[in-house]
Amino acid sequence: MKKVFALTMAAAMALSLAACGGTDSSASSTSTESAAESTASSVSEAATEATAAATDIKAGVFYYAYSDTYISSVRTALDADLEAAGISYTDYDGNSNQTTQNEQIDTALASGTNLLIVNLVTSGSSDAASSICDKASAAGVPVIFFNRAVEEDGKEGAVLGAYDNIAFVGTDAPEAGHMQGKMIGNYVLANYDAIDLNGDGTIQYAMFKGDAANVEAIYRTQYAVEDADAILTEAGKPALQYFDSSNADKFQLDLQGNWSAQAAQEYMQTNLSQYSEANGNMIELIICNNDNMAEGCISALNAAGYNLGDGQSKTIPVFGVDATDSAKQLIADGKMTGTIKQDAEGMAECISTLASNVAAGEDLLANTDSYTKDTANNLNNKIYIAYQEYAG
Amino acid sequence: MKLAFVNNLQQSAAEFKAMDAQDKRRSIADLLLNNAIYILLVIFVIYTWSRNNSFISTSSIVNVISLSAASLPIALGIGGCIVLTGTDLSAGRVVGLTAAISAALLQATDWGNKMFATLPEMPIPLVILLVILVGGIVGLVNGFFVAKFSLHPFIVTLATQLIVYGLILEFYMLNGNNGQPLSGLSDTYKNFITGALFRIPTGNGQSVAVPLYVLYAIILVAVMWFIWNKTTFGKNMFAVGSNPEAANVSGVNVFLTTVMVHTLAGCMYGIEGFIESARIQSNTANTGLNYECDAIAACVIGGVSFVGGTGKISGIVMGVFLLRIIFVALNFLSISGNMQYIIKGLIILIACSIDMRKYLVKK
Repeated sequence: MKKVFALTMAAAMALSLAACGGTDSSASSTSTESAAESTASSVSEAATEATAAATDIKAGVFYYAYSDTYISSVRTALDADLEAAGISYTDYDGNSNQTTQNEQIDTALASGTNLLIVNLVTSGSSDAASSICDKASAAGVPVIFFNRAVEEDGKEGAVLGAYDNIAFVGTDAPEAGHMQGKMIGNYVLANYDAIDLNGDGTIQYAMFKGDAANVEAIYRTQYAVEDADAILTEAGKPALQYFDSSNADKFQLDLQGNWSAQAAQEYMQTNLSQYSEANGNMIELIICNNDNMAEGCISALNAAGYNLGDGQSKTIPVFGVDATDSAKQLIADGKMTGTIKQDAEGMAECISTLASNVAAGEDLLANTDSYTKDTANNLNNKIYIAYQEYAG
Repeated sequence: MKLAFVNNLQQSAAEFKAMDAQDKRRSIADLLLNNAIYILLVIFVIYTWSRNNSFISTSSIVNVISLSAASLPIALGIGGCIVLTGTDLSAGRVVGLTAAISAALLQATDWGNKMFATLPEMPIPLVILLVILVGGIVGLVNGFFVAKFSLHPFIVTLATQLIVYGLILEFYMLNGNNGQPLSGLSDTYKNFITGALFRIPTGNGQSVAVPLYVLYAIILVAVMWFIWNKTTFGKNMFAVGSNPEAANVSGVNVFLTTVMVHTLAGCMYGIEGFIESARIQSNTANTGLNYECDAIAACVIGGVSFVGGTGKISGIVMGVFLLRIIFVALNFLSISGNMQYIIKGLIILIACSIDMRKYLVKK
């Protein structure tokens, strides 16, 4: 009996190993790996003979975390684009751990990967980025960073200006904040009296921040309010006012840095137990760093009878960033007001263009003249994918 | 019943009188120390109230109760694992998986990006049974490996935590969902969880609703209290927790008890996932992340000892309330969230030290 059991276990193990190492699985198939191990999670052998050079390229794509909603969209788009370009690639999940990602890169380089596509875990850390560039240049491998910033603010060029054969495809970190601020300012101006529930002439807002240290979160938290204020004061209206005058931070933070709906929901539910129309201090505007947090806030508002999208209940304007599918649906249903679209397909397309350049033996930055680049710091290899406003 | 209680009080009062001065001082000190957490809590509540009077208002109290109710099922489940001197690191991820399953099966049929587009509206009891089953299976696996191979639950549940997380990531990629959040839940489901149990008027025509999941939490507390205190299985659990060899010798099936405790815990995580999914209304692969930390903390604060074999349902409920009161109070005081970690850490440390002190004194 025991032997049979041991045998079954061994067989199960062998089976699972075989399943994980599946060689010619299609790009869309992903197997489940613990991120603690630095193993590949989706292997695609593109069987195209069209481009002879492309078959020589083995790209490693290092994502900071599979669990991130936006990153998942990029991954799906990029998998498809690389497949179409005939570039064989392997996806890795860094699981929000820079050490894990570095180990994955070491392992990948050792196993013959000759193109690194890296979504840095420690956003905005030039040290983390430099150490990856050092590994890559030692191996003579080009690096394409994407999505998360590779340099501190004010240290532009510390990485991108210091190494050859590297590029960055991302967004201009402050842009989403500026755009959200502009969107909020214009919306509030256009609907001022309807938003001002207690009629005190100022708008009380709540702000939900996704992560204490992330530069994107910091900029969004700052500029969403500053830019909205600029529009309001220019039109002769008072600036936005944080709903809790004794909170010096002027935001509520997801303590675990997960930008999570749960954190926003619990904060908002707690806020609503103290701030209400009956008390004349209702929160009149909600600004979130991302759409998940916006959804959490809407859940709490729903429970209190707001934002039901039925045309009868009052709607507190809620703004997010990302334009996830469910946020778009909420906007269509009238439960959410606006979001800023981060273009996952556009980003994937640009990365794929760069990868194809490498595969074709061209310069890394060939065919990228149509993209916006960081001209302010004279960095030709820093490509920006533009954000867009989305209000349904 | 009441009389017995009064008799008890009188008796302890008489005993107290009979003591000499030194013993009296020691027994008062013991009483204060053993209830230090509750005394601190009362001081904390009074302080918060003095700074912000709305802390003790109907809507605020309802808020604390509903927040606590939301995190009760997972704590009730994990409590049993701690009684067996174990733990369960997979709890949060099981909540995440079951939340995802609940959401996917109960999305509104007219939702634009429904995961299973052709799926008709599923009956809620069926989904509840399914998530309990899914949670139970993970628990069964945990319990089996713990009992069969005498592995420490820390290792087993660490492994299942990783496996379940992998399954969650897979699940969110299903059917072209591409890792997008699962939301757009059907109204029947949302009302079943967050609908009003009853409303408490707060004056001038306003009222505050107590959500239905508070009722479910109360039912679960009652069921778990019954299981822990009134069933053979519950008594066996404490016996195995305090001394597995002795329990074995006295005829308790240690293997079965261990497996069942973990399975029961898994079922509770399934219920937690079902509730969380509708409460948050937006589920991602990170839903449930680190829920086990708060649940373990709540149990430990409530006197479920890592030494094994001791613990009360009422303690778990108190522990959950205490953590939630801290969360809410810091918000009412507008204190930065960073302090929350420090205060939580200190409370866990104090609670565990007081708990261990009892055992050290015995020795």
